[in-house]
Amino acid sequence: MTLDALMRAAAAGDQVAWNAIVDRFSGLVWATTRAHRLSAADAADVTQTTWLRLVEHLDRIKDPERLGAWLATTARHECLRLIRLRGRELPSDESSVFDAPAEDHELDWSMLVQERDSALKRALATIGERCQALLRLLAAPEAPSYEEIGAALGMPVGAIGPTRARCLDKLRRSPEIVSLGTP
Amino acid sequence: MNDHNDADESLVSELRQYFERVDPVPPLVIEAAKVALGWQRLDADLAELLTDSALEAESLAGVRGASADVRSVSFGAGELTIELEIRVEGAGRMLLGLVSPPSIATIEIQSTDGDAVTVTETDRLGRFRAQLPAGGNIRLRLLPGEPDSAQPVETSWITI
Repeated sequence: MTLDALMRAAAAGDQVAWNAIVDRFSGLVWATTRAHRLSAADAADVTQTTWLRLVEHLDRIKDPERLGAWLATTARHECLRLIRLRGRELPSDESSVFDAPAEDHELDWSMLVQERDSALKRALATIGERCQALLRLLAAPEAPSYEEIGAALGMPVGAIGPTRARCLDKLRRSPEIVSLGTP
Repeated sequence: MNDHNDADESLVSELRQYFERVDPVPPLVIEAAKVALGWQRLDADLAELLTDSALEAESLAGVRGASADVRSVSFGAGELTIELEIRVEGAGRMLLGLVSPPSIATIEIQSTDGDAVTVTETDRLGRFRAQLPAGGNIRLRLLPGEPDSAQPVETSWITI
């Protein structure tokens, strides 16, 4: 089904159509909250508010094909609201995904994956907030479009390509990644 | 998007797998999103969020006045506006509201946490107040006093 058809079905109360929309975009919404460095609890709140907003606007979205960008914009605004209300403090009992390493890996992953993950984590911690946010969105499930990423980060679409190249380069050159070899 | 080379693509795809391992969308968050359809407006007009001091204040980065503890938001549906002041009082929230043009109405405050609904009434001047035990996602449902008048109005959801 096209997004347009899914939206119309969901507006008529079709739960299956609504679930399909959620499955397609929940990764984008979640990545948007995490790119804003929200804790898991705050990210869950913002995500819920974002979906509630879509429910109340189901019959008002003018361009269904741009739904992803609409959701990303809505999530971003909710993040900014919450950050303002919280005084931009991360709760001390929870770290952001970009913070320095923690020995928290599950045991059934192979050593190789664990080693690579922990190198990526250390490397990501060194590339700066702007790059972290952009890479979190670029690497979101379903590969968001530049329009969606721009909406999620409040960033002009034209700036994404060059920034992407620079951030990936920074990541690739970090000593943690270099020591692991390619890519 | 022809400026991507293969190395960039493979690094992005590695990052995608990495974030799927270390920071997937929690199943409960997806579940809550699916349940959200149950909050669809059936018989009411939407009063959109028009202003929110929490968002406007974003441009005054770092500036924090005495009013930082009070958040004001407003909603509008056609002629009708609902202004709301939200004060954080420990875990609870105090809401002071004004409906204009003024009318006698019942205000239900719905919350996504459970089915608890707080009910209050406006006075002749359209003022109302409510004390909530906790923050969370809420919306207001305004039921006009006279049965023959306009249909109910529901505000956008806000996190308080």
